[in-house]
Amino acid sequence: MKHLSKIAFEEKKKIWILVLTSVFIALTIVGQAYFFVAVVDRIFLQGGSFESVLPLLAGLLLVLMGRSLFTWLNGHTGVKLASHAKQHFRKRLIRKYAENPVLSSLKGQSGRKVSVLMDAVDEVDGYYSRYIPQMIQTAIIPIIILVVVFTQHIYSGLIMIVTAPFIPFFMAIVGVMTKKKSEEQMEQLSAFSGKFLDTLQGLLTLKLFGRSKRQKDDIESSSIGFRDATMEVLKVAFISSLMLEFISMLSIGIIALEIAIRLVVYESIGFFPAFFILILAPEFYLTLKEFGSAFHTGRGSSGAANQLMEELEGDANKVEWGEALIENKEAPPQINLDKVRFSYGNKFAIKSITASIPPYSQAAIIGRSGAGKSTLLHLIAGIIKPGEGKIEVQGRNLFSYHEKEWFDQIGYISQDPYIFSGTIADNIAIGATVTYTDEEIERAAEKAGLASLIDTFEEGIHTFVGEGGRGLSGGEKQRLAIARVFLKNPSVILFDEPTTGLDLKTEQVLQDSLEKLSESATIITVAHRLHTIKKADRIFLIDKGELIASGTHEELLKQAQEYRDMVNVQQGGNSA
Amino acid sequence: MKELKEVIKIVLQEKKDVWLSVLFGFLAGISAVGLFASSGYLISRAALLPPLYALTVLIAFLKLFGFIRALGRYAERYYSHRATFTMLSKIRVTFYERLEPYATKVLHKYRSGDLLSRIVGDVESLQNFFLRVFYPPIVMIVIFLSTIAFTTIFSVSVALILVIGLILTGFLIPLWFSYRQRKVKRMIRESRGSLSTEAAEFFYGFRDLKIYQQVEQKQSVLEEASDTYVREQEGEGKQLVYNHSVNTMITLMVSWLVLAAGAFLVSTGQLNGLFLAMLVMISLTVFENATPMAVLPGHLEENKQASKRLFSITEEKEIESRERVQIHQAPGITLENVSYTYPGEERSALKGIDLQIPKGSKTAIIGSSGSGKSTLFQLLLQALRADEGEVWFDDIAGSLTEPESIWEQSRVVLQKNHFFYGSIRDNLKIAKEEASDEMLNTILQKVGLDAFALEGEVLEKGENLSGGEKQRLAIARAMLKNGSLWMLDEPTSSLDAVTEKGIYDEIFNLAQKDTLVLISHRLTGLEKMDQIVVVDEGKIVESGTFEQLMEKQGYFYEMKQIEQSVFST
Repeated sequence: MKHLSKIAFEEKKKIWILVLTSVFIALTIVGQAYFFVAVVDRIFLQGGSFESVLPLLAGLLLVLMGRSLFTWLNGHTGVKLASHAKQHFRKRLIRKYAENPVLSSLKGQSGRKVSVLMDAVDEVDGYYSRYIPQMIQTAIIPIIILVVVFTQHIYSGLIMIVTAPFIPFFMAIVGVMTKKKSEEQMEQLSAFSGKFLDTLQGLLTLKLFGRSKRQKDDIESSSIGFRDATMEVLKVAFISSLMLEFISMLSIGIIALEIAIRLVVYESIGFFPAFFILILAPEFYLTLKEFGSAFHTGRGSSGAANQLMEELEGDANKVEWGEALIENKEAPPQINLDKVRFSYGNKFAIKSITASIPPYSQAAIIGRSGAGKSTLLHLIAGIIKPGEGKIEVQGRNLFSYHEKEWFDQIGYISQDPYIFSGTIADNIAIGATVTYTDEEIERAAEKAGLASLIDTFEEGIHTFVGEGGRGLSGGEKQRLAIARVFLKNPSVILFDEPTTGLDLKTEQVLQDSLEKLSESATIITVAHRLHTIKKADRIFLIDKGELIASGTHEELLKQAQEYRDMVNVQQGGNSA
Repeated sequence: MKELKEVIKIVLQEKKDVWLSVLFGFLAGISAVGLFASSGYLISRAALLPPLYALTVLIAFLKLFGFIRALGRYAERYYSHRATFTMLSKIRVTFYERLEPYATKVLHKYRSGDLLSRIVGDVESLQNFFLRVFYPPIVMIVIFLSTIAFTTIFSVSVALILVIGLILTGFLIPLWFSYRQRKVKRMIRESRGSLSTEAAEFFYGFRDLKIYQQVEQKQSVLEEASDTYVREQEGEGKQLVYNHSVNTMITLMVSWLVLAAGAFLVSTGQLNGLFLAMLVMISLTVFENATPMAVLPGHLEENKQASKRLFSITEEKEIESRERVQIHQAPGITLENVSYTYPGEERSALKGIDLQIPKGSKTAIIGSSGSGKSTLFQLLLQALRADEGEVWFDDIAGSLTEPESIWEQSRVVLQKNHFFYGSIRDNLKIAKEEASDEMLNTILQKVGLDAFALEGEVLEKGENLSGGEKQRLAIARAMLKNGSLWMLDEPTSSLDAVTEKGIYDEIFNLAQKDTLVLISHRLTGLEKMDQIVVVDEGKIVESGTFEQLMEKQGYFYEMKQIEQSVFST
């Protein structure tokens, strides 16, 4: 919550407007009561003529308009404050995620992050648009009313001072008393409320087992259970507002009684101040009560606020690049890994790996799942930065180069390439710094075996493929990623070979393409297929983040027991 | 209002709570008017120095009104909320009853979980129908009519001013505002949609964006989408504040008019000055009851849409009549020139499939992801209806038969199986109500889940179970059910080879005389199948026994070669 208000109070101008409009609202409340009482007093008690009250009526009209105007300005500013805060939070989140790729892309929490960016940010709205303006109003309006009442009749003012604290005090007590109970109820509530969705989601299963008709009673009983649990929670809320109502009513009643007795019995107060106070008193308690409901809104935002802060304060693992240019871009660079380490949190993913990958080589990274193969590939790609050690490209630290220089050199084919919403051509030419002609794109698509697919579409390469590549099979997405590489023609290709699930055509295309690409590029593959591994001129066998052996297939067969085991298991699998 | 017919019917079933809500709402509103009216009268009376007992009576009235108002408000809230939640329960049941017969068709249309959540959200949003749309106008009108009637005793002109005020703040202004708001709401929905699409692309495609140096560009698109969304929201917020202020101003103006008219009438002797304060206080208070009208059109519109969406799902009638029939034990299945295209897609998922699955045979359907094998499975299961061609179950045509007839005979394991919130026992008993604990434990043992207690908790969608556990539980469920047609869609994809083999042995042991169809993307353990069908790009490329296909050295053979060369890591 503290962080939330800090952002609000940085907006000094808006806060000042809120303060000023609150003062004016208070003044118009007082003015409204004053003119109103004055008119009644003049006409009713002093028997004045209608003409004599015309200036008072005009004054009242002005004050009423003023009250509407200032209420509007106050609310308007609150809304603007909320917009500003939401924009601020989203920008910071987006920047944080963009700079911190380890957290944003590798941990597989994309769904949760989308929801933080959308919903958690929206949820802080109420804090700025309602809670802060109301807080300021509550700090100002009752005090001004109180001061005015004191000038009129000191005893009524005293009654107000004594009774006012009961409202926040009582709210706090109710809050504490009901917190535990409502938390218990909430658990029950979520269990009940999930039932309907659960049943709908499982409807096919129910139908397959011939059970769907009988679920009706379950839905009914859980709905009634939901109702009863909700009513328990609501009853508490209703009773607490009932009590608040009683407190403010009682207080107004005491003031009215006191005034009436003084007016009639002691005749120590005139009609004017008596009526004036009687009109101001309800406004006084109303502002206090409204704070109660705004307070709930504010507290509702605190969960979202905590979530935002957690995201924003998470450790930064920013990848920073230098300015150096890569010389001789014609040939692939020499890549060296020097005691590279990397950890996620406290867990080591890569422990001190040293390796050399000469130009035009075909390197294969192999190992069990979870050994750190993909992390190593990400490190070489420069998506994440080693915790210790360094990656050298042409004898210089990778991160001393300009980011663009390096990324222009590399191509990356992942197991599940992401297809952006756009046309096939957009997707193939993604990230292109030059404009490619349709022919060039079509040629790349053809090399990647996409020609027959594109032929089936009326609009060819300008066919729209939806969000996440809707309508494309796994193999087609792979081939599209290869087309990207053919078009870009990079000198280093990083390839995360699929484990299973590809059609023969894509398998063939992958093999042929890599063969073709290897003529002009270094290829580093996280390999799963024996033929890929056998073909590699350098195999890196990784286990638990450590490089346990490297060399060619023949060398490793001779030297490394672990490698022999892996191959033997594979051969064993063959005969089974 | 046609859209809301169903909902109104359900509301009216809760007669008692509806009446009580209206009654207490009226009491609370009218006593507030009474409270302020009597306080205005009290103070005027007091100014004229009346006998003390008259004042005492008045003060007693004041207190009484105060208590009635507070208690009335409490009771109104209580009964209206109770009525609302009872109504929601009935809507859920009614909706479910309607939806149930069309389940497969509807679920297919609403494949994604989001849409199901939207259905649930639509039902939830109907809770505002009674609370904010149905009874508040009734309460408001009764309160205004009584107040206006009371006012006419003192002054007809003041009563007329109140009538005008009611028409303005209760009807005209809310209508005008809701008209303006409709467009804003649509813009918000659209901008929110595009922000969420951009956000999803940003996170899910981050690595590709990074490599292709599109992060900055996408980041600015995302920031722009966020700004647009916030701007639209801000527009709505400002409009709401504006509406609220205009409404307040109108009610204040009406009270001002009451005061001015009253003052004039008193000065000309047409009204007793004693009542002037009272009338103004009445005017200031009674308009509080018109406040709910400001939000009514918005809710009404939302409820109409929700109700329309909900009940239109179930309105579509099946065109041809389908019969419930008894299919034979271990049926043979024949596909005749079957094609299928998913709605909204250009390419067909399956084209002209002819396939024979003989009675009591064991068939495996294999292919890569996106080959069409799962679509073929859905057609065999009759969860999808072929666009062209026919699926025969022996001599029974699928297109003329209720799919329930097939399911009654089937033991199905889907790719994604649903598990309900509850216990392991509950989830197993779906397959066989009368199963004893002993029987359930035996089945669990067969699938290697003997460590599971029947009381063990299952969270929504089985999210506390691992992929392998879910698959084994689904297989256990299929083993418990009666039926002689096994339909298994990649039932063991998350299991290791040893467990998989054990489970297949159990299944084949149980299914000796049954017809069995197995979808698989793994090619191991297919040697004993009677028939292997290879699907690629929506067509059957080849079929035959394991030996035949290996000998032929065609597609299957190639796939087998590749699979063997993949390291099992």
